[in-house]
Amino acid sequence: MFNYNLQLALKSLRDKPSLTFLTILTIAIGLGFYTTVKTMSYQGGQVPLAHKSKNIFLVQMDNREVTAEEVHQSRLVDTTYKDTLNLMAMDLPGVKQTFNWSTYGILNVEDENINPLRTFAAVTSSDFFTMFEPPFIFGNGWDKAIENSGEGVIVISKLMNDQLFGGKNSVGENVRIGTHTLKIIGVLDTWHLTRKFYDRSFSTARPDNFFIPYTFAMENELPRRAGFDCWAGNADISRSFRTENTERLINSECSWVTFWAEIPDDQVESYSQQLHNYIEGQKSLGRFPREILTYVTNLNDQFTYINGRNDFMNVFSLISTLFFAVCLLNAVGIILAKFMRRTKEVSLRRALGAKKKTIIAQHIIEVVIIGFLGGLLGIVVAHYGLLGMMKIALYSSDYTRQLEDLQPLYALDFSMITNAFITGIVCTLVTSIYPIWRLCNTPPASQLKSQ
Amino acid sequence: MLRMENVSKIYRTELVETHALRNVNLHIKSGEFVSVTGPSGSGKTTFLNLAGALETFEEGDYFLDGQNVKGLSDDRLSEIRNEKIGFIFQSFNLLPDLPLFDNVDVPLRYRGMSTKERKERIEHALETVGLASRMKHLPTQLSGGQQQRVAIARAIAGSPKFLLADEPTGNLDSLMAQQVMELLEDINSKGTTIIMVTHDDQLARRAHRNIQIFDGQVSDIEKAVAKDVMRTA
Repeated sequence: MFNYNLQLALKSLRDKPSLTFLTILTIAIGLGFYTTVKTMSYQGGQVPLAHKSKNIFLVQMDNREVTAEEVHQSRLVDTTYKDTLNLMAMDLPGVKQTFNWSTYGILNVEDENINPLRTFAAVTSSDFFTMFEPPFIFGNGWDKAIENSGEGVIVISKLMNDQLFGGKNSVGENVRIGTHTLKIIGVLDTWHLTRKFYDRSFSTARPDNFFIPYTFAMENELPRRAGFDCWAGNADISRSFRTENTERLINSECSWVTFWAEIPDDQVESYSQQLHNYIEGQKSLGRFPREILTYVTNLNDQFTYINGRNDFMNVFSLISTLFFAVCLLNAVGIILAKFMRRTKEVSLRRALGAKKKTIIAQHIIEVVIIGFLGGLLGIVVAHYGLLGMMKIALYSSDYTRQLEDLQPLYALDFSMITNAFITGIVCTLVTSIYPIWRLCNTPPASQLKSQ
Repeated sequence: MLRMENVSKIYRTELVETHALRNVNLHIKSGEFVSVTGPSGSGKTTFLNLAGALETFEEGDYFLDGQNVKGLSDDRLSEIRNEKIGFIFQSFNLLPDLPLFDNVDVPLRYRGMSTKERKERIEHALETVGLASRMKHLPTQLSGGQQQRVAIARAIAGSPKFLLADEPTGNLDSLMAQQVMELLEDINSKGTTIIMVTHDDQLARRAHRNIQIFDGQVSDIEKAVAKDVMRTA
């Protein structure tokens, strides 16, 4: 019976090819737009370091003055430099910690034919590379020994390596930042981050172009591109900390360092407790005047919060869903009209012995084929839709972003293709229930008398 | 073979209740050729629809080939229609975009027969109506009389016990009507029970029995001159 129903379904689709194509096109356009937006939302909302994102935690402590306002966790201050060093010195087996702040500089190489490049960078510690796992093409990050020695080493991005060294293995080469010479010990590959989480900006900007040890940066007073949350007499000079007053900054209560910890599942509670104990201890030194408030939040929770507040994407998703719904309604209108033209035939088939379920099966097969073809064409539409959106993103970034940075954010992967197929078929099927129900309820005797 | 006991059919809307058939009591034996006559709107088609299990009814009992069809499920009624009844309609009701072979194939498909058996039955049925050479033609390529013969082939292909014909010659000229009538008589002579609704008194008189329906009530008139020996059920 399936073969017969399939033959009838295919015949029906061939009978009115323009109507069939219109139905499929309507579904495809709606599904294509929906899949485009869904893919952007899905890819853009992917949590980095998926294999261990639940174990990567942002650490926050509220060291503000008593009179400070209550703020949401997302706006709570960063960490002070002295707390950063104290936390790093704690003995926490199984726990990795790192921190970073932003800097900038002009990179120079020996070759005078290469133009110097002014770019942003991250100052960080050795575990940055083991915790956040940026991909290396050449070399590695630095270790604690190099960090403690204060040696001038640097890890540069693929973009920098391409521009300064033509893409060759530059490990061992020197670069100059101002008057300082640093040795390249590692070159990163393109690092795809949906959002630049490690500096807490959660921006869609590309990761930094070079990374240098905090010991070197502090010793040589490299500029600090940070927002300093200061109190207790330092608020008025906080801007000066960007380029000077390093000693005062180190001893101040200014918060500006983003602090991260990688904590195994079974130690999260004890880590929070140790943080609590640490603040208790600091309180006896006259610090942390407020009631103890700490946050140890993993990447998953942070991305849930950030994705939920992505108003543009949320509105865009809603519009695409509504548009898809409208397209489906239009398609189902065409299907209904087509099916209703067939009542005489169905009436006859029922009279000749077709059961209701046979009629239903025949039309379900037809609708599934329509949904399948709609899904197939919808994927083609989505492919070009994503290509278009990627070009727009490239244009709107003034081409500061590169195609290879953006490609993963607009990639139609297997899961999205499967999703589009299933959505196309299921939605078409669900919305076609009414036309099929109307048709299969055609009484056998109702149309047989008509001429 | 076919027995109706106090069968009534009422069509209801919010405002109106129409008694299409009232207390029909009828017994048609196996092998009979029965004509059904009556003025327009008298309930002839309703009677045929009930007899063909195309519609359900509210009151009474209807035994078809010994089985009471009252209260049977929709699926079972479909099976009964498919296995025991052949339908012939005034407007032929062929599927215009299917060749004759496929048109005759429709009821056989729903019976789940093998390809070989279906092919044999279709070829035999089309041979019986004299259209074996045209099985690849579309209905639109045939005359009205030929189309009705295809409809008859479709009706007999499954070897049903009953043929229900609703004004089978209504759309045909007298010559073609004559041919179709002869074909039906020939089929009847081989044992198939035929119930035929007609407006044509001449054709009605060629049946063994004539049933008249007037205002939903049936009067059963035994023909004075029986053409043939009626078989017992």
